[in-house]
Amino acid sequence: MIAPGIGIGHYLTLSAILLTLGIFGIFMNRRNIIVIMMSIELILLAANINLIAFSAVLHEISGQVFVLFVLTVAAAEAAIGLAILMTYFRNRGSIQVEDVKLMKG
Amino acid sequence: MIVTAFFYIFAAILVASAGMVVAARNPVHAVLFLILAFFNAAGLFLIAGAEFLAMILVIVYVGAVAVLFLFVVMMLDIRFDQMREGLQRYAPIGAAVGLVLFAELVATLAGLKIAPVEAAAPAASGLTNSAELGLVIYTRYIFLFQACGIVLLVAMIGAIVLTLRERVSSRKQDIAVQHARHPADTLVMADPVAGSGMDGQILRAPGWTPALDKPAPARLETTS
Amino acid sequence: MAPVINDYFPVLVFVVIAFVIALAMVGGSLLAGKQKPYPEKLSAYECGFEAFDDSRRRFDVRFYLVSILFIIFDLEVAFLFPWAVSLSRIGMFGFLSMLGFLGVLTVGFIYEWRKGALEWE
Repeated sequence: MIAPGIGIGHYLTLSAILLTLGIFGIFMNRRNIIVIMMSIELILLAANINLIAFSAVLHEISGQVFVLFVLTVAAAEAAIGLAILMTYFRNRGSIQVEDVKLMKG
Repeated sequence: MIVTAFFYIFAAILVASAGMVVAARNPVHAVLFLILAFFNAAGLFLIAGAEFLAMILVIVYVGAVAVLFLFVVMMLDIRFDQMREGLQRYAPIGAAVGLVLFAELVATLAGLKIAPVEAAAPAASGLTNSAELGLVIYTRYIFLFQACGIVLLVAMIGAIVLTLRERVSSRKQDIAVQHARHPADTLVMADPVAGSGMDGQILRAPGWTPALDKPAPARLETTS
Repeated sequence: MAPVINDYFPVLVFVVIAFVIALAMVGGSLLAGKQKPYPEKLSAYECGFEAFDDSRRRFDVRFYLVSILFIIFDLEVAFLFPWAVSLSRIGMFGFLSMLGFLGVLTVGFIYEWRKGALEWE
């Protein structure tokens, strides 16, 4: 019981919906890499909600520690990914995902 | 009671704004909806008792990561309408994958039985949330903590290597050179007798070379 | 972990008041003001002549670099908060642990300083 009337099931359902939306967003915006990265952020947020919910139910702080680490890695991923995106745009003048096929031979 | 109501409010706004992130036509709107989603997730964290992480989510994600996304969307200046062309083509695949995944998650959730853990009563330590976090991060999870440091270092160096460009044409201030400059290197004191002029000799600083692109100062030329 | 959410009731009151005031201001001006929209009011305004281009324009890349470095140090400070609160209980080991973390990030800081990433020309 996390709050009166709110159990772990509520949080798990919510994070399942978020994860599905994130996966759906990756497929739906296959050409726009910025929206793909935002979808990845949504997926990580779903994982974080899971960890927090279990941490609250089990009265165990470790889940929150892992959320902090996930946040760190996600921020680093966003920074590096967007830097690669900028460099790619500078070289090619486009960020179409389908144009990234220089190594296809 | 009021907490329960707020859980449903936060959850509804979170799901709606996540859907708008995926479906928005304009990426600027998508970023703004992402910020709304993070705010509501912070509210959910609060309800679950993770105060510190809720604040960190607002500070780091809303304050920094979302701003970074906004910068990139603004910086790239792409015609986004043409990026939406393939939308209808991929939507069925995305919907299929998403539905399969969601069905699997629902099946897992339906069969899930959480053992009643209320017996393991919370050790009423009297500590705040951030103090409890601090007790374990730096001791029990020290290796993960140091790995976070390495990850941040890699992100910092990677971002600099990828985006920093030397601009050869720029004339930036070099403070060390300015401080090392000495009056004797650049300045010559002359004391000509009144009316005699400089007798055709122009005093130049040692190491002076004529600048080709600009005319010499007029005041010195008149002395010859 | 006591239910900390009860401590946030003042925040709730604060947010409700903020919402009410904001709604009252926007709604009041919608109700009381005269609205005569026409396209010129919505177009970009440049002093005295026709606007040259859209208000959307590209930022310089250097803003982006500053923003990335801000994220990194933001997270570093985020790790400092729980450490500062619990320093009296984690002892010398926790202190040295944080020193190692800060040392690693200082290496990055020296790198970016020497590389000139913090200079604005």
